[in-house]
Amino acid sequence: MYHSSTQRRYWTFRSEEELGRRRSDANRKFRCKAVANGKVQQTDSFLLDPSEELIICKHYEKRLADFCSVFKPAMPRSVVGTACMYFKRFYLNNSVMEYHPRIIMLTCAFLACKVDEFNVSSAQFVGNLRESPAGQEKTLEQILEYELLLIQQLNFHLIVHNPYRPFEGFLIDLKTRYLLLENPETLRKTADDFLNRVSLTDACLLFTPSQIALTALVSSASRAGFNMESYLSGSLMLKENKTTLSQLLDGMKCMKNLVKKYELPHSEEVAGLKQKLEKCHSPELALNTNTKKRKGYEDDEFITKKSRMEEDEWTDDDFMD
Amino acid sequence: MDQYSILGRIGEGAHGIVFKAKNIETGETVALKKVALRKLEDGIPNQALREIKALQEIEENQHVVQLKDVFPHGTGFVLVFEYMLSDLSEVIRNSEQPLTEAQVKGYMLMLLKGVAFCHANSIMHRDLKPANLLISSTGQLKIADFGLARVFTSDGERLYSHQVATRWYRAPELLYGARKYDEGVDLWAVGCIFAELLNNSPLFPGENDIEQLCCVLRVLGTPNQKTWPEITELPDYNKISFKEKQPIPLEQVVPDASLQAVQLLKEFLVYPSKQRMQAAQALLHPYFFTPPLPAHHSELPIPQRGGKKIRQGLQHQRDFHVEQPLEGSVVDLELVAPYVIDV
Repeated sequence: MYHSSTQRRYWTFRSEEELGRRRSDANRKFRCKAVANGKVQQTDSFLLDPSEELIICKHYEKRLADFCSVFKPAMPRSVVGTACMYFKRFYLNNSVMEYHPRIIMLTCAFLACKVDEFNVSSAQFVGNLRESPAGQEKTLEQILEYELLLIQQLNFHLIVHNPYRPFEGFLIDLKTRYLLLENPETLRKTADDFLNRVSLTDACLLFTPSQIALTALVSSASRAGFNMESYLSGSLMLKENKTTLSQLLDGMKCMKNLVKKYELPHSEEVAGLKQKLEKCHSPELALNTNTKKRKGYEDDEFITKKSRMEEDEWTDDDFMD
Repeated sequence: MDQYSILGRIGEGAHGIVFKAKNIETGETVALKKVALRKLEDGIPNQALREIKALQEIEENQHVVQLKDVFPHGTGFVLVFEYMLSDLSEVIRNSEQPLTEAQVKGYMLMLLKGVAFCHANSIMHRDLKPANLLISSTGQLKIADFGLARVFTSDGERLYSHQVATRWYRAPELLYGARKYDEGVDLWAVGCIFAELLNNSPLFPGENDIEQLCCVLRVLGTPNQKTWPEITELPDYNKISFKEKQPIPLEQVVPDASLQAVQLLKEFLVYPSKQRMQAAQALLHPYFFTPPLPAHHSELPIPQRGGKKIRQGLQHQRDFHVEQPLEGSVVDLELVAPYVIDV
């Protein structure tokens, strides 16, 4: 149920400004950490500022969506939605300079498949990468290495509510109770387009899934020259409740705006920023802190087996009398 | 991890060791389930993800174990649960005399409340059995181990695994290899647990999958298109055939049970999943409203972990006995009448 969900309680934010603030904080925190480690200086030109980070994120969000859309076997929409949401949540509190979005994006998709019970084996998963078998194996190793970090950064909040189910619900409701609209199914295609486009924006961090679904239908209807206001005031009984209605309409306006102003970053711009990003991730700087923590994974099975066993169980020292 | 001190080991869970621990700040005793991530080629195990997923999204319920926290530790993470003294399998195993009817009703009431809550939240547990029904120190029953639980969506397209549930409690459609099923699998398990409480021994103790089906068929009779229309669509329907058998009346299967108990049991142990009585509906069954009334949780036996001692419920201050009807212990209405204010 959405109402009792962790999404509603912890991952739905008040405003775009709040999202911006969190991203700037993440950027600042990382810079401070890197400077404190003596690895870089605040003025180093290869460090990204928050707006540049956002462009990188946008680029990789699109790549994530593309990766999922050609995934074999075909990935259900809810899995794609969940993966994109994980990615957005992750970079709300983390910097791309610390964790490379390429691997985080794949880890998000990998975890989403498991959480949403879209069962593909890990070999099948990396089989979707256009890489050599050796490259695939290496990527898989990295994904597994980052999975724990990801789940931690998601605060172990795994279930994502997507707008696709409420969307079907609204369609059924329109068909049964709103007879002014002759054939609600005709709205589906344009509404679907809207859902695809809105999924690349921050709407899922600001609005409930059903608000997004409803906006998709209302905007699709208005494109077809039909005003659905009587559905909102009548069927959804918002006539008496002026505040809720106006809030809803404001939200819809905001979402339509997000979609309208969304722009895929230009490839030249991305290329320039990627150079900076690669510099941040170059081995000599080693700004990423994850590899050290999860060494256990990379080590040879036989050599480290014993010490890992010890680490995994609490020893007697942990016991209290 | 620093906020807990380990008190001892409770046992081995599905995906790691379970420890008893104390929260240093609050003094609360908890169970820590450690999920280790070594040599797992598929990364974080699905079972752990399912458990987190199912328990995190629901509000607190008296009859579902509470996931208090999750935090990273070493190369894995730790799930923090409320600490529970024992489980229903120990209660059944250790009780010297069969449970009284009131006690069985008490357990069934709590079990059904928990199941109804899960189903209302779109969660199928898929592994209900006495060992997964934990008993608190106050006698409360709580459903635990959501490692196989699925949050079900009604899009009806996704296939599920039929390799779920512990064999004895596995619904017949799963034994026939069904990949599409519903919360009815939990209701079948509820029926099996119910019969086990009534008989003090498992109802269908099959030793392998084929024998499991035999056990079920021996009691319910061989299914046919009339008793179970969907059976022909099940993957393994044509792979196995059994000799024609007539069902045995359930009265003979649970010989000591009351009439209402048998009636309720019949509602769960039926072949077509959709015909099994929903948990929420079962809570309204006359069984629970006919004397002896369900025992209060404080009147239920609470075995210790390890199953050595068993305490036959707290002895109540006032003199009433669990086997006597509850109304005998209720304060006389006429005594209270003068103090009741009409509104």
